[in-house]
Amino acid sequence: MILRALVRAVLLLVGVSVMVFAATEALPGDAAEARTAGRATAAQLAEMRAATGLDAAVWRRYLEWAAGLLRGDAGVSLISGRPVADVIGQRLPATAALAGAALLVTVPLMLAWAWPAGAGSPAGRLVAAVVTATAAVPQVVVAAALTAVFAGMLAWFPPISLLPADGRPPGLSVLALPTLSLALPAAAYGAMLLRGLVADIVARPYVRDARRRGLPGWRIAAVYVGPFLVAPALRVLAVVAGGLIAATAVVEVMFGYAGLGELLVGAVANRDVPVVQAGAMLAAVAVVLGMLAADLVTVRTDPRRAMT
Amino acid sequence: MRTRITLTLVALLGAASLTACGDSEQATAAPPDTLRYVTVGSPATASNDPHGGLGNESDAVRFALMYDVLTGQGPDGRTQPRLAESWKPDRSLTKWQFALRRDATFSDGRPVRAADVLYSLRRIDRKAAENYGRLAAFDLAASRVVDDHTVEVVSRKPFAEVPRALESMTFIVPEGSDDFTAAVPGSGPFTLVSNDAQSAVLERRDGWWGTAPSLRRIEVRAVADPQARAQAVLSGQADVAASIAPAAARQAEGRTDLSLVRRPAVTMYPFVMRTDRKPFDDPRVREAFKLAADRPALVQATFLGYGQPQDDLLAPADPSAPQGLTPRTRDVAKARQFLTDAGQGDGLTVTLHTTTSYPGMDTAATLFASQLKEIGVTAEVKMTPPDTYFTTVWGQQDFYTGYFGGIPFFDVARVSLISGSPTNETAWKRPEFDAALDKALGEPDEGVRNRVLGTLQQQVRDEGGYVVWGTGDGLDLTRSGVQGLPTGAGFGRLFIDQVRLSR
Repeated sequence: MILRALVRAVLLLVGVSVMVFAATEALPGDAAEARTAGRATAAQLAEMRAATGLDAAVWRRYLEWAAGLLRGDAGVSLISGRPVADVIGQRLPATAALAGAALLVTVPLMLAWAWPAGAGSPAGRLVAAVVTATAAVPQVVVAAALTAVFAGMLAWFPPISLLPADGRPPGLSVLALPTLSLALPAAAYGAMLLRGLVADIVARPYVRDARRRGLPGWRIAAVYVGPFLVAPALRVLAVVAGGLIAATAVVEVMFGYAGLGELLVGAVANRDVPVVQAGAMLAAVAVVLGMLAADLVTVRTDPRRAMT
Repeated sequence: MRTRITLTLVALLGAASLTACGDSEQATAAPPDTLRYVTVGSPATASNDPHGGLGNESDAVRFALMYDVLTGQGPDGRTQPRLAESWKPDRSLTKWQFALRRDATFSDGRPVRAADVLYSLRRIDRKAAENYGRLAAFDLAASRVVDDHTVEVVSRKPFAEVPRALESMTFIVPEGSDDFTAAVPGSGPFTLVSNDAQSAVLERRDGWWGTAPSLRRIEVRAVADPQARAQAVLSGQADVAASIAPAAARQAEGRTDLSLVRRPAVTMYPFVMRTDRKPFDDPRVREAFKLAADRPALVQATFLGYGQPQDDLLAPADPSAPQGLTPRTRDVAKARQFLTDAGQGDGLTVTLHTTTSYPGMDTAATLFASQLKEIGVTAEVKMTPPDTYFTTVWGQQDFYTGYFGGIPFFDVARVSLISGSPTNETAWKRPEFDAALDKALGEPDEGVRNRVLGTLQQQVRDEGGYVVWGTGDGLDLTRSGVQGLPTGAGFGRLFIDQVRLSR
């Protein structure tokens, strides 16, 4: 089971790398053209392509990139000539901090929303409606609304999130708005996925029985419902985390936050394939690891395992 | 339900109080000798190489602080000495000797020698494909080191504007520097202290030969989004936001704690017509299109008024620009007549390409299309994304929205008006024009030279394929108390070492 999950994870990563490579390849133009913006002669372009290895066949470039990665070498940026590991490494901590903070907010919020939304009372139905609506709002809109309220009207947080110039870690006020912009829609989406499950579990006979016995709500949640939610909640979380990491690109650009997402947006525009590949692979690894963890927990908490 | 509301409140309060803690550690105001400067920059193109395309503004500003250039731009827009103290051409105007300052040193202590200068110029030339052939007018193989403090630069043809052609982008690095994965030492007024994902921190270098800057420290930050740049100053997180959008400038108007620095005539989005293809091969069609433009309306819509209507001159701010021309104003009847004479009287349909690379390019094209409608021309506006516009539309399509960024007329001519240029976008190919341009550039007398260049510029205005309807100002937003930001055109804007702060 664990072995199978591992194999699946590796296959998934290989698939992602091929797809991202092919997608960047399918875009019109290449890095040599992006670098010279239409002003280079054909001979100059050919020379630049030869110098950066862009003149080789697609499959060859892919294999060379993959072989490099296996040796721990992510290659060199086609635009600036700097090692990809440096370019990414400079940006990774900021995005890790942002995504981490967003997940920390997302998890409790998701559970807090899924519980009443799945309970089925009139108030619960209202929560469900609000959650569904929030999940449907794009991050851009959430970010704009949060900025208008918390930066504009209340002036609690800065409207943009510049990192400290001397390389210190970002303070909470800098992280606040981007974090919430990521966390609110993600938590709502997660709560929507979990809602049905909560409703199912709550409807089970032993939960109804516990209710009749007059046990307090928190105890029912913790003892009778919670354990059955752990594995599916983790799986939902892995999916939500994937969406959240993808959304950092939009949110980072909006808040001027110097993370990986902003880098990726620019790298795609410049056809800087090695940087795009490395950035996409990092995101994919994060999601795949999350799913792997969810699988492992499922195995450990599966009631059928206890029976056999 | 009630528990949930309570929980939410607790969470929000918690977040707010945490933020308060965060603030105390964070928002210590910058000391009065530190300038926080936010400018255009994309991490994807960030580079330490001062000899490439200089497309990333935040890099270029850093280079201008770290490295010396041979010649610079004075406040009056004229070329002034920088690393080169003086210069002297030979009689043929092809060999120019530049005398270098003797007191310039790199930040690692080595003196700046003629060999470093020649090495840097040759390296810029070697990267011609990336920097648009910036030194294409020079024969750097034939150029030579005369002595430790004199370098002789050879131009391919007699060239009276050599000092100006070497202005502002000739960043000098130590001879032999070829690994730019990290910054190499410079001889400029500031040294690099740190350079991370978003910001570069530079500190004043004691012992620089020039006027000691009043700033001790400059933080240069790259922020890609123009709205976010303006917000940085509006919210007090930065002192200067360079190149903001006209809409943000309007938003800041009326705030006494802010001021707007306008750099006139920096941007133009001319409509470009291919003069060798139908229907623009007929001069009467080109004339009709020029007469169709409602120039003040275009400036108002595109630059929100932060600009000036223009008269089809490609370098209106150049010292050689012809003066006292009869302005070309909108004349629908005359335009229609020209079209009828050209046999296009009963409805002409064209495609006008545009993009969103620079703010307002799409607005300009859409508005011009509606103005063309009134002279009986149907212009279909076609949008192309910024990442492919300059490779698939620019220099290739028959009718599109172009871009120039305030460069001298001889540079415009070299890039776009010479028969042999691969980027001659309007197919303006006239041997007599080329010859006259060569002759003018080899003319030692400035008055005579400018007169001839002016005539040539006027000829392109009257017969060429450019509708230059207006220029937009460069807009920098500053906190009040920031003084001495450069307002010149072109690369002059990068030199912020003499900016002063009063708080």
